[in-house]
Amino acid sequence: MTWWRRVFNRNSLESQLDVELRDHFDRLVRDFVAQGHSDTEARRLARLEFGGMDQVKEMCRDARGTRWVDETAQDVRYGLRGFRKNPGFTIVAIVTLAIGVGASLAIFNLVDALLLRPLPVPNPSELITFTRWIGNNPSESFSYPQVRELAERRDLFASLSGVGTEIVYVGPPEALEPAGAAWVSGRYFDTMGITPFAGRLLNASDDERGAPVAAVISHDYWQRRFGGERDVLGRQVLIEGQQVPIVGITRAGFNGAVIGQSADITLAFNAKPVLQPENESFLSADARWILMLARPAAGLSRDQLQARLDVVWADLIARTIPAGMSPEARQRTLSMQVHADPGRAGASRLRRELRQPLVVAMGLVTLVLLIACVNVANLLLARGAGRAREVALRLALGAGRARIVRQRLVEGIMLAAAGTAVGVLIGWAASTGLVGLIAERVAGPGDSVLALDVAPNWRLLAVCAMVVVTTTIVFGLLPALRASKIAPGAVANSGRVAESHTRFGAALIVAQVSLSLLLVIGAGLFTRTLHNLRTLDRGFSPGNVLLANYDPRRLGLSPPQLLSFSQSVLDTVSALPGVGAASIAAITPLQGGGMSTPMRVNGVMTEDEIYFNVIAPRFFEIVGTPLLAGRDLSPADDLNAPAVAVVNEAFVRTHLAGAQPLGQRVAYPGAQREMEIVGVVKDAVYETLRAAPPPTIYMSYLQSRGRPMTIVADATAPIAEVTSAIRAAVQPRVPASPMRIRTFAWQIENSLFQARLMRMLTAIFGGLALALAAIGVYGLMSYSVALRTREIGVRLALGARPSRVVRMVLGNALRMVTVGVIIGVPLALLVARLISRLIFGVTSTDPMTIASAIAILSCVGLASAAIPARRAAAVDPVTSIHVE
Amino acid sequence: MAAHPKSDLPQGTLDLLIMQVVAPEPMHGYAIAQRLKLLSRDVVQVTQGTLYPALHRLENRGFLSADWKPSDTGRDAKFYKLTRKGRAHLEAEAASWERLTGAIATILGAAKGEAS
Repeated sequence: MTWWRRVFNRNSLESQLDVELRDHFDRLVRDFVAQGHSDTEARRLARLEFGGMDQVKEMCRDARGTRWVDETAQDVRYGLRGFRKNPGFTIVAIVTLAIGVGASLAIFNLVDALLLRPLPVPNPSELITFTRWIGNNPSESFSYPQVRELAERRDLFASLSGVGTEIVYVGPPEALEPAGAAWVSGRYFDTMGITPFAGRLLNASDDERGAPVAAVISHDYWQRRFGGERDVLGRQVLIEGQQVPIVGITRAGFNGAVIGQSADITLAFNAKPVLQPENESFLSADARWILMLARPAAGLSRDQLQARLDVVWADLIARTIPAGMSPEARQRTLSMQVHADPGRAGASRLRRELRQPLVVAMGLVTLVLLIACVNVANLLLARGAGRAREVALRLALGAGRARIVRQRLVEGIMLAAAGTAVGVLIGWAASTGLVGLIAERVAGPGDSVLALDVAPNWRLLAVCAMVVVTTTIVFGLLPALRASKIAPGAVANSGRVAESHTRFGAALIVAQVSLSLLLVIGAGLFTRTLHNLRTLDRGFSPGNVLLANYDPRRLGLSPPQLLSFSQSVLDTVSALPGVGAASIAAITPLQGGGMSTPMRVNGVMTEDEIYFNVIAPRFFEIVGTPLLAGRDLSPADDLNAPAVAVVNEAFVRTHLAGAQPLGQRVAYPGAQREMEIVGVVKDAVYETLRAAPPPTIYMSYLQSRGRPMTIVADATAPIAEVTSAIRAAVQPRVPASPMRIRTFAWQIENSLFQARLMRMLTAIFGGLALALAAIGVYGLMSYSVALRTREIGVRLALGARPSRVVRMVLGNALRMVTVGVIIGVPLALLVARLISRLIFGVTSTDPMTIASAIAILSCVGLASAAIPARRAAAVDPVTSIHVE
Repeated sequence: MAAHPKSDLPQGTLDLLIMQVVAPEPMHGYAIAQRLKLLSRDVVQVTQGTLYPALHRLENRGFLSADWKPSDTGRDAKFYKLTRKGRAHLEAEAASWERLTGAIATILGAAKGEAS
């Protein structure tokens, strides 16, 4: 009979054993009777010879080899009984562990999904991605000619390809559905090294100019949109309003090489101008928007590749510079460096923005996990000390030490398992929530949808579980081991064990306080950062302003026609009820991105790039940027009138040396027409709140080429009404591209994403840490009060005032907090340097913040000691002395 | 009970004896005990507390198989039978036992010879 069947057939084995042994016994009796003994005598002799029936059974059970299973089951039942009897301890311990594990997994899942998880392709470690650097500015974006040139270098790359992601619209104009698209170069799937699930993948011939457009869809999209129908291959689908055949499906799990932006549909770069005629320029050398991935040529390490790349790069760049480029721009382009980075986890633009916050967040959750473990350690120690007597009793009754140790192990594992299980759920929910937050951030004008798979990574989960299991086991065992060493007789008085526990417990509380202090200081710094960013003088106010994007380019209009189209849309919106005033702008502040170029100021080229914007009249009035001198742009400033511009104070300060600006002249590099400065506005934030408003030139859109614009409208009626009114009026005029309407206030908040994320994370983690510290102090003080009941009773009986007893308990708590602070502050100062780049308007060693954090911790410490203190003061001297 | 001095069985030999005893025909536990007592002329003491665990261990290892069959008492008893695997094991063990005892006997004989 196999071991498993022996485990599961326990009951039938037991009854068989019983019958077998009884049969033996009966036969003994029978034989003794046959030898002439009386019935009673025969039974007596048989019992004598047979020995104890139960001992024999026990030995047979040993032989079964399943004893430890039975005993473990006993331990589990015993543990459960113990947990049920002490629900307070059980719930606090499990919830504490769950919080620690949940918080860690929430962040770890995200880190894994965004930074660590390898692409589901063969040998992902071979893959490399690229970053280009101009000065100190990194970017992952390359131009199409650069990708093509590099892909030709077969001496460097076994395969190199480019990929650019975007949202495209699928279906007829009246029912457009967004889908994640990846535009890729011919060797993309070759670089990935993957084979199709069905049909074929794209190859080099698909990415030739004039090649028929073909789409490859992902397995996921095939299931979602086409319900997994087999006959989807060869079917025509309307993508961006044009019929495109589906030629293949990728394997399940592969959603493109760009992390965070899944490729539902993969198309060749050369299909872009066909499907989006207005985006012809995306394949020119000016447009850098493509991420590159490659596998190095055989035998070439990344370092060797980098060395060779450095040699050929300058030459290669020189060849891809477009002909009409100004000397300045040319110089800048030539100064570009390129770096080969590990590409195991695919390419991504999100990483640069999120890496640092995520790394800090990982540090924070590690602290939370540690604090949670410390807390549970303390709880277990207190519980263990209380059970010293039980251990002694069991030892006295003949239990082996191993048995007691095993029982504690089982208890520890049960606690850890329950805590981890709940923690996994919390973590999964929390990381899904975080992805939602990030998705909201990304769904701005960047035109993308975030798709991150935050399924738990089993390795990370295992690490968390290990930490938790180790904690519960070690701290569950320590008291048991200590107790089991004491001679059973001596244990009637368990005071010694308990006392050494309180000392160790106090040390743990001190550790907890100092770790919590770090988190509370962090929460303070990020709260101040967010506050500073929100209350900063930005030079404009969002009021009730709505921003409406529309893209008229697919209408096939010439630049002058585009201008009049934009003007008529603006007139329509201005006339809507509920719209106070409307204007348009090429760039709205904090939309993420902007336009800048070196300019000619009074005939002299500037060294720096100057930010510029193209706007309609009344823009300043609507966004609330005061005009300081001169005049606003007017409807008369069109192509027939002299070119004009408005500048801000920073421009006057920096580029005109503070001289009287009106009448001075600025011009684009290489442009014939000079613009006369007709007005000066107050400085306003342009691209980011974290930098001072840069020198900026505002030009009249009526004197520009009609690029895509954002309508900026001041809503005087409820936002929702005005939003739908604008959509109803404008969308029918641009049927092929869905409008995006949002409030200016949302755009500003969205630009604070990183600060808000950090504030939220530190506030949550800081709050958790405080709660855990409070539980820790409360638990330890309650325990020590309970332990000292008799002593307190004696003191009270001898005339001590209850207030003195309260002070004694609070004093103990305060001492632990103080030591924790003394350790925590230098630690915080040390760690704070790591986040100095993420905070704003406050130094990482801000004394106010640190002082507040200390005050908060002290209050929490005292408050959580207050209940045990009151309990101590209320001790009745008579009963307490009678306790034992 | 017998008055002879009784010796403990060397480790592992009980298994060998049990297998040898049941080799000819299936037997229940009581019969095995009786037979052991008989064969060893009461020299070897096998209590129920060692016999039954040994039987169960051999059964678990697949050297014995057990069947519940009607017995002379009219009730079903558990009959142990040597399996093919058990027979092979018995032969191997018996052979190695003989080699060992032979070697020991030789050594003891030689020692006696030298002493005399």
